[in-house]
Amino acid sequence: MSDALLQVSNLETYYGPIMAIRGVSFEVPRGAIVTILGANGAGKTTVLKTVSGVMDPQKGTVTFDGREIQGLDPDRVARLGLRHVPEGREIFPLLTVAENLRMGAFTRKDADGVTRDLDMVYGYFPVLKARAQQRAGSLSGGEQQMLAISRALMARPTMMLLDEPSLGLAPRLVRDIFEIIARINREHGVTVLLVEQNANMALHIADYGYVLEVGRIVMEDTCARLLEKDDIKEFYLGMKEQSVRGTRRWKRKKTWR
Amino acid sequence: MEAEEDVALSGPPTVHGQDTLPRLFRHVVSQRGDAVAMREKDLGVWRAVTWRDYGERARRVGFGLVALGLRPRDVVSILAENGPEWLYADLGTMSVGGVTNGIYTTDAPRQVEYIVNDSGTRFFFAGDEEQLDKILEVRARCPGLVKIVVFDVEGLHGFTDPQVMSFDDLLDLGARYEHEHPGAWDPLVEIARPDDLAILVYTSGTTGPPKGAMLSHRNIIFQLGFTDYLTPPREGDQQLSFLPLSHVAERTFTVFYPLSTGSTVNFAESIDTVPDNIREVAPAVFFAVPRIWEKFYSGVALRMREATRAGRLAYGWALGVGMRMAECRIQGRRPPVALRVLYRLADLVALDNVKRSMGLHRVRGAATGAAPIAPELIKWYMALGIDMREVYGQTENCGLATAMPADRIKLGTVGVARPGTQIRLSPQGEILLKGPHVFLGYYKNPERTAQTVIDGWLHTGDVGRMDAEGFVTITDRMKDIIITAGGKNVTPSEIENQLKFSPFISDAVVIGDQRKYLSCLVMIDHETVAQFAQEKNVPFTNFASLCRAKEVQDLIWGEIERVNKQLARVETIKKFRLIEQLLTAEDEELTPTMKLKRTFVNRKYKDVIDGMYVEM
Repeated sequence: MSDALLQVSNLETYYGPIMAIRGVSFEVPRGAIVTILGANGAGKTTVLKTVSGVMDPQKGTVTFDGREIQGLDPDRVARLGLRHVPEGREIFPLLTVAENLRMGAFTRKDADGVTRDLDMVYGYFPVLKARAQQRAGSLSGGEQQMLAISRALMARPTMMLLDEPSLGLAPRLVRDIFEIIARINREHGVTVLLVEQNANMALHIADYGYVLEVGRIVMEDTCARLLEKDDIKEFYLGMKEQSVRGTRRWKRKKTWR
Repeated sequence: MEAEEDVALSGPPTVHGQDTLPRLFRHVVSQRGDAVAMREKDLGVWRAVTWRDYGERARRVGFGLVALGLRPRDVVSILAENGPEWLYADLGTMSVGGVTNGIYTTDAPRQVEYIVNDSGTRFFFAGDEEQLDKILEVRARCPGLVKIVVFDVEGLHGFTDPQVMSFDDLLDLGARYEHEHPGAWDPLVEIARPDDLAILVYTSGTTGPPKGAMLSHRNIIFQLGFTDYLTPPREGDQQLSFLPLSHVAERTFTVFYPLSTGSTVNFAESIDTVPDNIREVAPAVFFAVPRIWEKFYSGVALRMREATRAGRLAYGWALGVGMRMAECRIQGRRPPVALRVLYRLADLVALDNVKRSMGLHRVRGAATGAAPIAPELIKWYMALGIDMREVYGQTENCGLATAMPADRIKLGTVGVARPGTQIRLSPQGEILLKGPHVFLGYYKNPERTAQTVIDGWLHTGDVGRMDAEGFVTITDRMKDIIITAGGKNVTPSEIENQLKFSPFISDAVVIGDQRKYLSCLVMIDHETVAQFAQEKNVPFTNFASLCRAKEVQDLIWGEIERVNKQLARVETIKKFRLIEQLLTAEDEELTPTMKLKRTFVNRKYKDVIDGMYVEM
C-alpha cells in the first residue's frame, strides 16, 4: 500500500459526452509488474492515456512517486520518469533506428550515459543494432515494437506504461518481447504497468492483475490466483469446459468471483 | 357476497363465452385474425405476429406433438427465455389436451432433472443451445423423456441426435399431420374439460425440493374474468414481457391476459435491455415485481443527483405537488381545483418527463405483486400520476387473491378480496382463501396437498390482518416470523421493505430468531453505491472492495438508522453485514425474481451472522 509508485483513484475520463472510464482505482507497487486486462473497448488504453497525461480526467487523482500528476502535459509526465509506449508503436518512420533511440533520450544531458544505454538496448534487442542505420518505417512490426520499448527505455524511466506490446505480433515474437519486459523489470528495477489482450502472457509475467470491463474494475488479485478463476479461464484464456455434446458455443454469465 | 358465490358455483366461469383455454384460444384467434398478437425484436426491428399466425403455429405444435405420440394429460416442459415460441408451445400443447410446465432458465441441470422426473415430462422444449445442454446432461436419468425440441438451433449445425429435433421440423411434422388428418383439430381442442389440469407451476421452494402446483382451466379462466380491475382494455394496448414465464404472475400476464383483452405482447430482448424496451414499447398495462419498481425508482433518484440544480428544484417541487394529489386520492377526497391546476403544471414541468424517461408515460394500469413492497414507493408512483395498485396472491390460487380497488386506496394493505374470493384468518392469524381459483393440489403429492387445502380453504402460509372494510395486510410468511431471545415477535419483512426503499439497498434479510437483538445482511445496489463512492472519491476496485469501504459501510448504516427510527426499540437493528459478492439470478441465494432466500442465506452466511452476535 504505502510503497505504491503509482496510485490511481476514482478516475473518470470522457470522450466528449461518453464516459469511458467510470471510476477506476488501482495501484502499482514500486518495482512490480501490474497488468490490466480487458476486452476491446473496456477502457484500458484510456486509462494509460489518462495516466500519462495524453488525456485529462474529469475527476480523480493520479499520484506518481508521491506527486499528483493528473492533468499535467504528457512531456512533463515523461520528464518525471513515467514513459508511455503507446499501442501501435508510433515510432518515427522516416528517422533511422538509431535516431529514434536518441529521440527517446532527448531529456537527458549525460552523453556517456546515453551511449551506455544504447549498448544496453542493443544488448536486449540485437536486431536493432543490425538495423541501426535503417529507416524505422522499414522495420517489421515486431522490430518496431522492440524499437518503441527501447526508445522508452532510453529515457531511463522509473516506470513504463506498455499498451498492448503483443498486438499484431507472431506468437514466437510475443514470447520474446514479454521475456525482455520481465528482464528489464528485473535487471533495472523498472516498474511496469502492462495493458494486454493476450491475458495468458500478461498473467504469466505480471505480479498482480486487474480486470477492466466497460470502464470499471470488476476483479483484482495476484496473477497466480487470477489464473485459477473460472471467468478468467473462460473469457480471457479461452479455456472452456466441454459440454455433453463435445462443443459449446454459448458463454456462461460472468460473475467475477 | 353470497349471491355472487352462487353464480360462481352454478357453472364453470367463462371468458368470451369459453370455459377452457383451448376453446378460448380457438375463439379469439378466429375473432382477431390479422390483429397483432405479439412482437419480437429481430436484428433490431420489431416483428409482428398476428393472431392468425399465432393460432396456426400453435396448431402445428399441437399436431406435431400428437404425431410424436403425445397423449392427453402428458406433461410438456418448456425451458426457454420468453418469446413467441414459448407461447406457441404452451397453447399448442394445451390445445391437444397436454399439460405445460415452465422451467426457470436459471435452473441448473440437476434442478431440471428433478422437475422433469417429478412431473413425468415426456416432451421437452429447450430454448437454445445453452438450455439444450442442460437436458442433454441429465437425460440419461430421465427415463420418461421421449423427445426434445429446440427453438433456436443456432450453433447446432452438424449436431444430430435421434432424441432431438428443431422447432421448425416440429412445425413441418405438424403441418403434414394436419394435411393427412383433416378435421382432426376440433376434437383435440374439445379434450380438455374445465376441471382438468392445464398447467403445472413449480414453486421455487425455499425449503425442500420444488413442488408442482396444479392449475386447472377453471382456475385460469376464472382469473381471466377479472382483467378489468386494473384498467378496461383498449384496442392497441401494449405490454412488455420480461419476467420469467415459469412464474405464475408473468405466465398469466403474458400468455393468458391477452387472450381476454387482446392486448399486444412485446418481448424484451433480454433482461439488460428492459429499460430501453419499455421506452420503445410504452406499455399501457404493466405488471412488475417490487424489485423492478425499486430499480426504476433508484434510476430516477440517481439521475436526479446528477441533474442541474434547477432540474432538482423542479423535480422536488413537482413531486411535492404530486404527493399532495396522491394524499387526496388516498383519503378519498377530490383534490381542490387549485391543486389540480398546480398538478397539471407539475406534470408539464417535470413529472411527465420522469415518466417518459422510464417509458411509463402511457401506462393506464400498473400493478405490483409477488413480493412485499414499501408503501412509500407506491406513493411515489402515484405522485407521478401512475395508478399503481398492489395485488396479492400465490401460485396456489393462480396468482390473484386481493387487489387494491380503484376507488379506495389504503397503502400498506394489499387491498380487498377480488370478487368471488372468500378470505378469513385462522386463529394463528394465517390468511385462508376460498374460491374457484384455488388449485387442484400439488402434483403427485397428496400429503402436502392435504396440509395446504383443508375443506376447500387454501392455507397461504402468510400471516396478516383484515380490517372492518375487508382490507388485508400481510405481515409476513408464517415461518419467517422472528421470535427474539427476549420472546418478542418481529415480522422481518416489514423492516426489510423499509430498508429496500433506500436506493442503495437492493435487498436485506433481517436476522434475530432466538437471538438477543436484531441484525441484518444487506445486498447493496451495485450501480447506486458505486456512483456514491465515485462522487465521494472513495477508491474501490471490485464489488468486495466497494462493500468494505468505510464510507459505504457508514452510508448503509445511515440507511439502517433511518429505518430504525421508525421501529420500536426492541425491533431496531443493532448490527449489519454486507454481502460481498455480486449475486446473479443463477445463484442459489436468490429466487428467480431476485429476492434473497431467507433460509438459504441464513445457512450460507452462518459464520458471518454468528460474527454479529459475538459477545463484546
